[in-house]
Amino acid sequence: MWMIRAVLDNVFLRKRQSIKPAGQYWPIWFFHIDTGGCGGCGMELQALSYMPYDFHKEGFGFVTTPRAADILLVTGPVTHTMSPILEAVWEAMPKDQPSDFEEEEIRKPQFNFKGIITVGECAINGGIFSENYAVIGGLEGKVPIDITIRGCPPTPIDILNGLRTLFERK
Amino acid sequence: MNAVSLIRNAEPTQTPWRFRFDETRWCTLIHVLEKDPLLLMGLWCDGQDIHAVFLDEGQPIVATLALENGRYPALSPVREVASFDERIICDLYGVEVMGALDDRPLLDHNMWQVSMPMGRRLQFNENHKGLPHFYPSDQFFQGAELLEGWGPATGNMDPPFHVSVALRCGYILRAESQMGYTHRGLALRWCHSSIKEACRLSARVSAGVSVAHQVAFCMAVENAYGICVASDISLIRVALLELERIIHHLYKLAILAHLMGADLIAHRCMSLREDILEAQIPITGSRLLVDVCLPGTVTLSNVCRIGELCYKLYINIYEKIISLENTWRVYPGLMTRLMSLGSISREEVVQFGVEGPVARASGKEEDQRKMMPSYAGLWRYSSVQRQGTGNDRSLVLFNEVTESLRMLGMLADPLNTSSVIKDMGYWGEKGEGIAVVEGPWGPVLYWVQLSQGYVSHVFQRGPEKAIQLLFERSLQNHTMDKIPLLACSLGVNAAAFDL
Repeated sequence: MWMIRAVLDNVFLRKRQSIKPAGQYWPIWFFHIDTGGCGGCGMELQALSYMPYDFHKEGFGFVTTPRAADILLVTGPVTHTMSPILEAVWEAMPKDQPSDFEEEEIRKPQFNFKGIITVGECAINGGIFSENYAVIGGLEGKVPIDITIRGCPPTPIDILNGLRTLFERK
Repeated sequence: MNAVSLIRNAEPTQTPWRFRFDETRWCTLIHVLEKDPLLLMGLWCDGQDIHAVFLDEGQPIVATLALENGRYPALSPVREVASFDERIICDLYGVEVMGALDDRPLLDHNMWQVSMPMGRRLQFNENHKGLPHFYPSDQFFQGAELLEGWGPATGNMDPPFHVSVALRCGYILRAESQMGYTHRGLALRWCHSSIKEACRLSARVSAGVSVAHQVAFCMAVENAYGICVASDISLIRVALLELERIIHHLYKLAILAHLMGADLIAHRCMSLREDILEAQIPITGSRLLVDVCLPGTVTLSNVCRIGELCYKLYINIYEKIISLENTWRVYPGLMTRLMSLGSISREEVVQFGVEGPVARASGKEEDQRKMMPSYAGLWRYSSVQRQGTGNDRSLVLFNEVTESLRMLGMLADPLNTSSVIKDMGYWGEKGEGIAVVEGPWGPVLYWVQLSQGYVSHVFQRGPEKAIQLLFERSLQNHTMDKIPLLACSLGVNAAAFDL
């Protein structure tokens, strides 16, 4: 885990104060990774993409490659087997946009903040799956987390409300 | 002598369904199973004995063999699906299997802090660096032009697993899956936990099939302590099982429709599912029906209104499901494309010991519900198709949804009472129980050993192992982009597989 911590510290602490507000016309792309849970949080995330929830209209979307993602959504307790995969996914995500991007003449509203959101108790603190030979536990206290969405599992509305707070960030 | 007679004539134990074998008799059983089609549900170890559980006309029957010098003769040469269990037992206990089909690790990829965590001697590991390695079988590369991999981080919402595929001319020649990414050490967590805690763990084995796990666990505990639950509790559990089946099938149909590009249908499936979830939350208290059962009772937030919920769902949803199925049937190209997805013959289903809707779509009519006393007068028939294609599996799911709704309609009156259900508490010093229920993807079995109100051992078995084997085989001659489709159509479930 020390490697994950080192990578995340390096990325987050550098630009935490200069995050641009998200644009209303430009979706925030999420990459989801289940790090070893029962799949309940994943099911609730899946429900967001369909009626009656308006996930896409809110300005969000899911991608199937971390290279196109802005934010990493983590569900489930982190198992020892998934830990290096989580790290690889994080490293594959693009870094924050350089600050001179904001100075471009035609500036599209752009969300350029690389972050991590934990969804569900397991991803936060391990939940019912505390640390053992196969499980590291949650990410809380191990890496900087931008938003935590609690619940076992949280409802789609809870998740959506949690994600909306991204737009409130300055 | 057939396999069942061989088992029943072995040395009896304190339970009427478990029999003790010596090694000679075990080897005879393996020999008999070459020709006997008796269904092997699973194989587990408790550190001293190895147990093989079979289903004889829906009833579990167990053969037990004491480990001699920490090893036992393999069942995998006659039941291929046993290979997964043998590999898991080896990973967890370090028990050697003689004559196994496959001796590669299945869950432990040298990433755990401890090797053989349930064995007699713990072996601590140094921190592993880098990604887990995939070790293919000897024949994996034969005839292959290209090797590719899929998973575990795919961006989709399902629990992770990895599939390595050998390709020729762009088509899959051979596929082998690597599991263990979601292994949470449940077998060890269950040991010495309280019954309530163990029930909470069983509810979180896998979302979507949570009620089946809870009910099977509770029934196994009740069986162990000789508790006979009240008939209204049994009926409420039936209602919950059928409710879960409806919610689960609609979810799977939505994902399948989305992957096939039929988003209109996907939205309608999910919308209906949300209507049901919305209606049931005030009564059950949990969207995904987690923590709704305990041994001897049910733990709903408003149990008095369960009959009203059943009636409401039957009246409001039944016609909408029929209409949705009709839309599915006429949606341009949907059924035609599904007909070419993962065709599975009845022989393959029997060979791998697959049960549930996947087996029923291939013409094997087996349903645990017809054996369960609480379904008496409710269960009518199980939908059966013949060709075993993706389309047949979808139609079976639709039919099961309508049948489940019909059952809920029938349950509305008997459950329309204002009964107050009390926590019955637990009694008894030692006990051993076993139970099977029909979950959304097939039978879910629990074996429990209890002592002083605590759990000594739990073995859980669902249809996942057999389905994983079938998934690997049915990927042959498909292109790689069909992997998520086929996984969804067959109900591949890594969380329930890994435990």
